[in-house]
Amino acid sequence: MTAPMNMDQTQQATVVGYESRPVTKPPNWHGLVTLDMVLNNLSTGLFLVAAVGELLDPVAFRPLAPLVYPLVLLFLLGDLVCLVLDLGDPKRFHHMLRVWKPSSPMSLGTWVLSAYAVPVTLLAAGSLLPFAIGGVGLDLVRRALLAVGAVLAVAAAAYKGVLFSTTAQRGWEEARWMGGYLINSALCLGAAEMLLLATLSGHEAAMLDPLRLAARLLLALNLIAIMLLAKDVRGPLSAARGPDGIASLALLAIGAGVILPFVFVGASGPVGVAVALGLMLVGAVAVRSAIVQMPHRLAEGRTVARHLT
Amino acid sequence: MTTSELEVTRRPAAADPPRRLPILAERVVAPFRRGTPPDPRPATGFYTDTTVCIGCKACEVACKQWNQLPADGFAWTGNSYDNTGGLSATSWRQVKFIEQFDGAGAGHPDRWLMMSDVCKHCVAAPCQHACPTGAIIYNEFGNVYIQPDICNGCAYCIAACPFGVITRATIDGHAHKCTLCFDRQRDGLVPACAKACPTASIQFGPVDELLERARSRVEELHRRGETDAYLYGDRPGPTYSSLNSFYLLVDRPSVYGLPETPVNPWLHMQGDYLRALVSGLLSLAALVAALLLGGAHR
Repeated sequence: MTAPMNMDQTQQATVVGYESRPVTKPPNWHGLVTLDMVLNNLSTGLFLVAAVGELLDPVAFRPLAPLVYPLVLLFLLGDLVCLVLDLGDPKRFHHMLRVWKPSSPMSLGTWVLSAYAVPVTLLAAGSLLPFAIGGVGLDLVRRALLAVGAVLAVAAAAYKGVLFSTTAQRGWEEARWMGGYLINSALCLGAAEMLLLATLSGHEAAMLDPLRLAARLLLALNLIAIMLLAKDVRGPLSAARGPDGIASLALLAIGAGVILPFVFVGASGPVGVAVALGLMLVGAVAVRSAIVQMPHRLAEGRTVARHLT
Repeated sequence: MTTSELEVTRRPAAADPPRRLPILAERVVAPFRRGTPPDPRPATGFYTDTTVCIGCKACEVACKQWNQLPADGFAWTGNSYDNTGGLSATSWRQVKFIEQFDGAGAGHPDRWLMMSDVCKHCVAAPCQHACPTGAIIYNEFGNVYIQPDICNGCAYCIAACPFGVITRATIDGHAHKCTLCFDRQRDGLVPACAKACPTASIQFGPVDELLERARSRVEELHRRGETDAYLYGDRPGPTYSSLNSFYLLVDRPSVYGLPETPVNPWLHMQGDYLRALVSGLLSLAALVAALLLGGAHR
């Protein structure tokens, strides 16, 4: 004989149904995707700052090329490894290249990253092989590679944001400024990376001061980008993280990621600049991770308030 | 003379088509080969009349059996008789049970609602739009079909689907969902679920015919006093296309676990690219200004 159902069980039994369940299913995108976005932006941001700097002032920026472009390539390779490993069937990674489908941000991103890899690889090889540099013709080729690479780097830095915002997942589908945030964040990271490399290489203040100013201007814009993104996703984000989670995220994204680096990029030594870059990375990882985790947290029921759409 | 299944294993290797490339090279090259697409046929789909579903789950069983889908294990979900739990890479049909008793039906008399859920085969499918490999196509019947030899498990289709239909299998890492029994259709057969449905709750056929049938059924239900009956997905809305697999419902869509107003994620794409471009240009302008003002261009 079964025991009679108590009141709690009765109430539980009436909470069946489908209305309170999330309709969509989050894809299995987690830490590797966050890492992929960070590595992507470390590569594209550094390339953009280095390329724009070299096009404007080759005398000051070109000596850093042997450091910069191999590093850009290294970050890019790390990014590509993350992208491949995150596939359900990594052995089929090349299937991405069987169609040209710019209407799909992932397809566009694949082609843009592949195309971006060409000038990056050539510039990295050219930087490491000094005999390859020289002559007016080669200089023109180099400038063309920098210009083409810069255009591709902008697209490569931003596509992932549009990829996220063109989904049906709660939190991602509202993130209208995700692409805008990523491209700006990439440039912030790039300016800090360049500043660190220049400081470590013992460059004079005439090169460091413009980079410090650039980093600060970009950080100011980064604050605006974060606010715009936060405005987009505030509903699902607060449902996913709760007030305490939002406060700690704001502390990391704005306090560690923007305000403190704004101060530390003014440091004259490499330690201060390295701290600034490290703090920027903390903020960048925090924002990307919060965005990536949002639909997962909501779907897993780790919500603190009902997300009303 | 026909070849029996037992004889197949004894066939000489010479009967196989000659391999043109080594295995590894073939693996790389094969996905890039294109066949000749078949001529388009009238679009086919499902019309699911939830008012006659009895929750027998014959559709689930038939789907599993025909498509040789593995078992998912067994667990009590606590959600009425729905122990399938959801559509997945290995469950392409899910019978949903809604118990509206003791006032749970918001003004309705006590009743059961049952619905066999499946891929909606959207006319403008976000999953197809998203797929970067071209694995997801519209086949000659206008059905949304995932080519299993092409999909690489990027999972973008999963993220894009507003109905939560597609999932990635843990077995092979690829995305799977209802094929609308593409193989059976090509042989002139009705999909397994529709064939097995004992109450004709799941009906299969050319979409135009199904729509006609469904609309007259709604009229009939209205005449008989079930004025809440309506069709879900039969026509395009402001934010989503029509569905080639549509439903006759008698309660709000969310009661059945369907989005009230599905939104195609691609509606925002151009604006999102534009915002990214604006941000990129402003940031680059700041960089150039800083380098010029700071005296970089000497």
